[in-house]
Amino acid sequence: MSATPNASAETTSPLPENGGLSASIGRTVFEGLDGAREIYGVFVRTLYYLARARTDRDAVIRQMYEIGNRSVFLLTVVIGFIGMIFVLQAGLQMQRVIPDLSMLGASFMELLVRELAPTIVALMLATRVGAGIAAEIGSMVVTEQIDALRMCAADPIDYLVKPRFIACLIMTTILTLWSGGVSVASGIVTAEVIFQVTPRTFWNLSLVHASDVVTGLTKCVAYGAAIPIVSSHCGLSTFGGSEGVGSATTRAVVQSSLAVIVLNFFISSAAFIAFK
Amino acid sequence: MTKMFSPIHGAREGLMNLAATLGQMGIVASQISRRLFRLDFDREELLRNLYKMGVKSVPIVLLTALFTGATMVVQAAPIVQRYGATQLLGWGAGFGILREVGPILTALMISGRVGANNTAELGTMTVTEQIDALRALAIDPIAFLIVPRFVAIVLTLFLSTLYADAVALVGAAYAGQALVGVDPITFYNGLTSDFMGIADVTNGLVKSAIFGIAIGLASCTFGTKVTGGAPGVGRAVNATVVASAAGIFVVDYFVSFILT
Amino acid sequence: MIQIQHLSKTFTHPVLRNVTLRVPAGCLYGLIGPGASGKSVLLKMITALMRPDSGTLHVDGQDVLGLSDIELAAFRLKFGMLFQNNALFDSMTVADNIAFPLRRLGQVSEAEISDRVRERLSAVSLAEFGDRNPSSLSGGQKKRVGVARATITRAPIIFYDEPAAGLDPVTSQRIFDLLRKEQESAKTTVIMVSSDIDRLLTVTDRVGMMFRGSLVFDGSTAEAAKSEEPHVKQFIHGLAEGPL
Repeated sequence: MSATPNASAETTSPLPENGGLSASIGRTVFEGLDGAREIYGVFVRTLYYLARARTDRDAVIRQMYEIGNRSVFLLTVVIGFIGMIFVLQAGLQMQRVIPDLSMLGASFMELLVRELAPTIVALMLATRVGAGIAAEIGSMVVTEQIDALRMCAADPIDYLVKPRFIACLIMTTILTLWSGGVSVASGIVTAEVIFQVTPRTFWNLSLVHASDVVTGLTKCVAYGAAIPIVSSHCGLSTFGGSEGVGSATTRAVVQSSLAVIVLNFFISSAAFIAFK
Repeated sequence: MTKMFSPIHGAREGLMNLAATLGQMGIVASQISRRLFRLDFDREELLRNLYKMGVKSVPIVLLTALFTGATMVVQAAPIVQRYGATQLLGWGAGFGILREVGPILTALMISGRVGANNTAELGTMTVTEQIDALRALAIDPIAFLIVPRFVAIVLTLFLSTLYADAVALVGAAYAGQALVGVDPITFYNGLTSDFMGIADVTNGLVKSAIFGIAIGLASCTFGTKVTGGAPGVGRAVNATVVASAAGIFVVDYFVSFILT
Repeated sequence: MIQIQHLSKTFTHPVLRNVTLRVPAGCLYGLIGPGASGKSVLLKMITALMRPDSGTLHVDGQDVLGLSDIELAAFRLKFGMLFQNNALFDSMTVADNIAFPLRRLGQVSEAEISDRVRERLSAVSLAEFGDRNPSSLSGGQKKRVGVARATITRAPIIFYDEPAAGLDPVTSQRIFDLLRKEQESAKTTVIMVSSDIDRLLTVTDRVGMMFRGSLVFDGSTAEAAKSEEPHVKQFIHGLAEGPL
């Protein structure tokens, strides 16, 4: 892999910005394929440095603190409300179809572990952390600090991406566990208040199999890896001065979120097929 | 002693900031509605923004909807299988998509794309004093800039949710066939069964309009209240995305609660 | 020795047009030209921070464009570089910024690193600033830290992109004198980009002028001062009228 030609403040947008709907879709496909190849490159290099070079533990811890600090409040609010929304909607539907809410909690726990907790956490992290990483790295590109790193024979992937990768992997899992707890709490309260389902009935782990736990954890790892890689790539491919940083940030949020959604499908399907 | 009070102080400050922000949004909301009722806004700007926001979002919304629909099937399948009601897969995936997942995910993706971009544009205009320049030319910046963008965001979200729902259901139907062996016709029947009604569709669409209002308000408010140059614009964009995300879920709960 | 042959690069418009240039070893080469004429791009090409569309580049006989990533890392350690906007790492102190290239070089003890950092700081008259953060410095101070960082590894080839921009006349002269003195004693190859023509011409051996991506002049300092080439004449003498 050669030095990325885009990693300088002077480059301009690679593709022209006109055309209608079909041009828009076509452009997205081509940019997507190119981008996917570059993202894969970033991923492979990060793994290489993970294996080969020394890791700066302080840098990782600093990043973990950043991630946690940025996201905890938003996550808690969102996942709390999701617990309430899910219980409300599922309860209503169950009342329509099978007027017996004793398994409401069980279904909730199953979906929470397997799907809701990791995916919602990841979507929120894609927003906060993805934007943060892209903005930091993007402004370093624009102020030529990335070039300066390269001139000192320091690979930005080793120096910048790797600590964020490790930190995000760890924090995604920790935050998912935290969110799970918050969501269970809000679910219990909602079930009690709206449907008079007692906490004892609600807290039902009978439907949570090992396969669900494995699926949930796999998602944590996959999302925790995808978000920093995708948003670092967006940051590193910033062009066009300080406005470019803003555009890189937006791209990071959108692309990280899309990555989560696509990965979600593949992991869920794989789990479904494997654990049938 | 001071350290003990810090989290409380932080929470109090946070609440004050929240109240201030909501207040600002309220003001912007009233400014927008006054001009809306008078039909006092720039139609060309509306069309231009509608095109820019709507068309640019299509690929993202399509991709999201497709994969989300398919994922819903994978999640719903074990549940309906457990009750031996595979023919209700359409219902299982469908109600989740129409009522919740469709509107929410579309809103999240659009807030990330359109909302953030809008804040960045408005913010840059504010910082470079273009808004003041408009006033100096006796052009009402709210009627000219803000209202068209606000309306465009709401319409974009509404229309996007419409076709996102459709695409998600199609994706779900085919995923249902590929992974669970439920053919699309059975899936469709499950959708139109007695357990689902037009209320599920309208429920989701009403939500999407309200999400649009929330995102539009947040985006326009943070965009026009930017202080502090280019870093301030960055902060405003951040604030929009966070406020939109939190707002979507908070609003979703209350709307779901009220509309049942 | 730097050998550039027919280098071209186009983004949405041509940035480098068929540039052929030779910088002999041990030469202090001044690169001048109006804004956006391709000077910074050329510097970045030589260190492979950017890739050309066509042309060849050789540094001390090595084909730069054929180097692999691993070889590139070692290759770049031959250079010291001062960027136009300083590019100081804002997450580190001034002292750590200056020490960074030396640390990356490896094989230097921490004690020697501190010594050299201290020496560099006093050479650029910033002796007390080691613990400061770059964001708290003035533009001129940042520039001087950049000079210190570019020169700490005593690399054989150094690029200075606007070493005295934003500095007052006294400090400018001091910096130019310092850079010239160090270049003479270490016999390093230097390319210096500057718009301060008068001061630049007092220290250069050779001069090259770029205009809209093309090299319109390449010769000794004396030849440049006397040149009748219209672009060169207008730029060097600061005339309002002419082809620029």
